[in-house]
Amino acid sequence: MKVYIKQLGIYSIIALFFVLAACGPQEDSGEKAGGEQEGSKNSEYDLLVWEDVEKSEGIEDAIQKFEEENDVTIKVVEETYAQQIEKLRLDGPAGTGPDVLTMPNDQIGTAVIEGLIEELNVEEDITSIYTDVAMDSQIVEGKIYGLPKSVETTVLFYNKDIVSEDELPETLDDWYDLSKELTDGENFGLLALFDQIYYANSVLSGYGGYIFGEDENGDYDPSDIGLNNTGAIEGAELMQEFYTEKLFPSGIIGEQGIQVLDSLFSEGKAAAVISGPWNVEPFSDAGINYGVTKLPELSNGENMSSFNNVKSYNVSSYSENKELAERLVEFLANEENSKVRYEKTKEVPAVASLADDPAITENEAAEAVAEQSMYSEIMPGIPEMNSVWDPADAALETLATGKSSPEEALEQAVETIKGQIEANHGNDK
Amino acid sequence: MQHRTIASVLSIIPGLGQFYNRQWAKGLVFLGFGLSFFVVFYDLLNMGFWGIFTLGTEVPRDNSVFLLAQGIIAILVTCLGLFVYFLNFRDAYRNGVLRDRKMNLSSLKEQYRNLVEQGYPYVVSGPSLIILVFAVIFPILFSVALAFTNYDLYHSPPANLVDWVGFDTFAKIFTVDIWRSTFFDVLGWTVVWTLVATTLQVGIGILMAVIVNQPRLRFKKFFRTILVLPWAVPGFVTILIFAGLFNDSFGAINNDILAFFGLDPIPWMTNEAWSKIALILMQGWLGFPYIFLVTTGVLQSIPDDLYEAATIDGASIFAKFKHITMPMILLAIAPIIITQYTFNFNNFNIIYLFNGGGPSVPGSTAGGTDILVSWIYKLTLEESQYSLAAALTILLSVFVIAIALWQFRRTNSFKEE
Repeated sequence: MKVYIKQLGIYSIIALFFVLAACGPQEDSGEKAGGEQEGSKNSEYDLLVWEDVEKSEGIEDAIQKFEEENDVTIKVVEETYAQQIEKLRLDGPAGTGPDVLTMPNDQIGTAVIEGLIEELNVEEDITSIYTDVAMDSQIVEGKIYGLPKSVETTVLFYNKDIVSEDELPETLDDWYDLSKELTDGENFGLLALFDQIYYANSVLSGYGGYIFGEDENGDYDPSDIGLNNTGAIEGAELMQEFYTEKLFPSGIIGEQGIQVLDSLFSEGKAAAVISGPWNVEPFSDAGINYGVTKLPELSNGENMSSFNNVKSYNVSSYSENKELAERLVEFLANEENSKVRYEKTKEVPAVASLADDPAITENEAAEAVAEQSMYSEIMPGIPEMNSVWDPADAALETLATGKSSPEEALEQAVETIKGQIEANHGNDK
Repeated sequence: MQHRTIASVLSIIPGLGQFYNRQWAKGLVFLGFGLSFFVVFYDLLNMGFWGIFTLGTEVPRDNSVFLLAQGIIAILVTCLGLFVYFLNFRDAYRNGVLRDRKMNLSSLKEQYRNLVEQGYPYVVSGPSLIILVFAVIFPILFSVALAFTNYDLYHSPPANLVDWVGFDTFAKIFTVDIWRSTFFDVLGWTVVWTLVATTLQVGIGILMAVIVNQPRLRFKKFFRTILVLPWAVPGFVTILIFAGLFNDSFGAINNDILAFFGLDPIPWMTNEAWSKIALILMQGWLGFPYIFLVTTGVLQSIPDDLYEAATIDGASIFAKFKHITMPMILLAIAPIIITQYTFNFNNFNIIYLFNGGGPSVPGSTAGGTDILVSWIYKLTLEESQYSLAAALTILLSVFVIAIALWQFRRTNSFKEE
């Protein structure tokens, strides 16, 4: 009897599975396709914009104008710009994601591979208003994925009470000499975080080193790493001098180094530091009479390079109103609105013609950023870049502490980077 | 035909068997459950079962990861449903048997009383059991399932589909050179770390407890308080402070302590071997107070007679320690020691906060001091190697569970229960 019941049970389970398995895909496709045609489910707004934290006042007017012109409603929410992609991964499929978002350019490669952001069909006359470097950062394999919102790059802050504007050293070698003069254990000359690739690349790349080479299409070639070529080694040797001659305080090495650097300058103990525009306010608040200028030249006549951080407006691929979203991106990033945004948020816009605009040339920091941008390069946006940071920083740190020679350290870093890239990105492409 | 057969056969549609047995209320409940199961879960089951087999067929319509999650929920829901379905059969069959024996079936009132009196534990714990299934079992199943897919940066929704790849990911860990060498390096260090760091903290703890517990020692409370202090400070604060102390260039250990003895600075953070030593020392500091406290408790409960008898027999201090103190301590705190070992095996905080598993090592995808958990964390958050991380998690769990089981079974304190 029991056997009979068991059999019954098994048969009914099998029957159940058949019923369930049979109806999956077809109905599903019909259902979803229907869902998309309904258009925006949300009656509150037509577009949702994720703007950077404390930056939404910069686009307030533009949004209002766009709403009136197109008779739509737009909601603006502030989210940390570096985390927006991460949030989009979950919010997008859930239907609560934004239509327009903003992000740093080094995340674009990953976002494109994952398919999180949408290709834009913008015309040549729109893209041509931006600086080449900024626009390039938005292009992946020949396709445009966003429009630049602002650029940020490292510049030189100098203390006018220690070095006057007229006798400002022009080359890194001059700075080196000046540092030797000024350094007495308490006070220092030029300070920089040369143990981090983000800053060290300024020197390495000036002498011909590079992180990733480019192929003929202008795309990065992750198999070509130039961090240990002769140029890079030359640059590394120069940077190591600063450490071996004790021109930098010992505490400046390592993760905490940035705090040491900021506080030494804020206390007036450093003649100059290489830092970013994010320090404009803190240094002013500290009461330092400082000037801002582009980075110095190197001994070979090249200007020190720097990484360009481009923030951009992009369209989410989960957006249900992509055309409208794209038009909003174009509108927000146009010359007029870029200028308004700059005036309110002080973020230097990427529009080329604005570099000569009085609004920017009158502001020393903005002008320095705009000028340095000409010598800067984009931080590679491909996912392989993730494998570069740790090994490169570790190598530079051993250089800074004098534990190994430049050749050795850089050779080892490149070997490590290559291994990690092969493991993480090798056979899947 | 016997009643039990008819009742069982009718139960194919839930409730009919009960109706046949004239238990109308119960039948209605089962029928209601059956109907509402399909009405409520139709979409979920439909999408879920299709999704878990195919993991999606079209981009960007299908999001493989969500389909996988839905599929697992569908399986869990189906299991619950089948369980109720089974109860339905069993009930119909049992009552059928009662009828065949010409016995009276329980009335509605009696059924209710049965449920409340005998089934009380089940009724009360039922809801929490269901929550447990979704809060604990679901995530475990999900990560186990991920290990058998190719989910990584290049196979992630919405641009790409995730596929089932069977044991390929596991094969990759053991066949691709860089992964294999990294895995065994990390595993090796994890084992060494677990054994050495835990043994050190247990050793210091017991030693300190025995010393502080010496009858001749004065100011016992004072020493006890001091020795428990490391435990009173939150672990992550201690780790961060130690990270500062050990700092190669401005840390006090290099600049003040070693310099005082005229020793060269040691690269605590940037040299693999020294990093490991620093970590083990720190864990000794962090971990001993707990063992110290527990051991102190045990020591106070060892009867003095034992020691007196030993003294009369002429036992030396070491003999007393070896034959009385140690066995008593180990007997009492063995389970605690084992949990200390498993805790350190997965001690993510100290590794991550000290120097992020650094320094980086050539020919390896993990840092020099990464243990399995911190490596898995890096793979997931920095490299988007989700399936690989899931596969490693499974290997890690197997390892921990095996050791814990083996240890627990060998421990005397559990045998005596």
